[in-house]
Amino acid sequence: MISEIDIYAGLSSPIHRWDPRLKVISILTLIFSIMLLYDLKLVIASMLFAIILVYISRIPFSFIAGRLKWVFLFVLPFLIILPFTVIGEGVEIAHIGSITLNFRGIESVEFAVMIVIKALTSVMLIFPMIGTSRMDVTIKALEDLHLPNKLVQMLAFTYRYIFVLSDEFMLMERSLTSRGFKRRSNLYTIITLSKAIATLFVMSFEQAERVFYAMRSKGYKGKVTTMHEFTLRPQDWFNAVVVCGFAIFIHVAVLYGTLEGI
Amino acid sequence: MVHISDGILATWLWGSGWVITAAILAYTLKKMKIDDIPKLSVITAAVFVASLIHFQVGPTSVHMVLSGFAGVTLGILAYPCIFIALVMQTFLFQHGGVTTIGINTVNMGVPALISFLIFKAGMKLNIGISKNEMFFGAIAGGIAVALAVLLLAVELLITGEELTEVTTFVVFAHIPVILVEAIFTGVIAGFLAIVKPEMLSIKK
Repeated sequence: MISEIDIYAGLSSPIHRWDPRLKVISILTLIFSIMLLYDLKLVIASMLFAIILVYISRIPFSFIAGRLKWVFLFVLPFLIILPFTVIGEGVEIAHIGSITLNFRGIESVEFAVMIVIKALTSVMLIFPMIGTSRMDVTIKALEDLHLPNKLVQMLAFTYRYIFVLSDEFMLMERSLTSRGFKRRSNLYTIITLSKAIATLFVMSFEQAERVFYAMRSKGYKGKVTTMHEFTLRPQDWFNAVVVCGFAIFIHVAVLYGTLEGI
Repeated sequence: MVHISDGILATWLWGSGWVITAAILAYTLKKMKIDDIPKLSVITAAVFVASLIHFQVGPTSVHMVLSGFAGVTLGILAYPCIFIALVMQTFLFQHGGVTTIGINTVNMGVPALISFLIFKAGMKLNIGISKNEMFFGAIAGGIAVALAVLLLAVELLITGEELTEVTTFVVFAHIPVILVEAIFTGVIAGFLAIVKPEMLSIKK
């Protein structure tokens, strides 16, 4: 149902070898920087930069395309609906009954395209950021970056339980199906699924408590323990400078562009 | 769809989303005990997995949000729960956006807190029906989604007049979700009250 994000963590590339702490910080900086950008040409340039990062990381594009589908489905209404209006100003293009459909002009198409590209770019960057290290290593990196310990623990536990729960949910659905249950748009479906999920919760909750107490009785104190030790090499800093440099560059370019415009 | 993607909202809006989320997170994390972690993690994973359960409603497909359910079972800890669920959804499932995690947590988390207060008040009120938990669970579940959609609609409209049509579309697409969540949360609250009362946020 859901594949783990880190199934390509075993590959070898400069991004895989990059220190996870610097990797997470640099790429997050880049994502935020792109979101603050309102210039179509530079947004496209950022998307190309993201594609290059993905290419270097050697994560297959087919894997990413499957995930991009969801984002695209969300932003699609913006692309279709945004350039047109029934109440605002614009060029009349059609009458449907008593409603007049207006076209807002080429700027609104550009704005809609920019929204779509920004959304896709930010998602694409997630893959080189956390798809190139094992999840436990990334979580340890977050701990090293002094994220609140309770949040780190919740992340680590939740990540495990997502796969447990979705597997168990599939089992439960299969057993419902084998008894002749079909999902339909009616009250019976909702109530049956709700009760099935409620049972699942009670089971998972009891299991989670047992696991947690077993871990504590074996000395778990809330620290992430992996065999992985972090070391910073010059190459790590070089990568960080390149990625953060691009994040700064796009804003300098905007500033320079507007000055030139005056 | 209640989790908005990157690049749509005005910068100051998602920026203040982060500020509000950081403040509420700091407060709720202080209240959280280490022993809460197993319960929190299971419910958080559930909120995450719930977004994979799609219902075919008319021409579109909607998915569960479960923020009201988080409020009913976790109380104020629903806030960190929803924060982590959204972080996971963004990074593992590419649902929503990175810069908008803050504002999305506000959109879903604040209604979850309100639904907890409604549930708590409802249980105290004791209006004398046999299925108290089910009734107020349903109200809490429905209101949590309705408020989330309302917040989202307001944010879209503040961002720009050109988003009016999109907002209308988003609001209408969510009416079935509100109904489904209300029934779902009601059934679960009623079920847990009988089978495992300690999973509810209210001590009897």
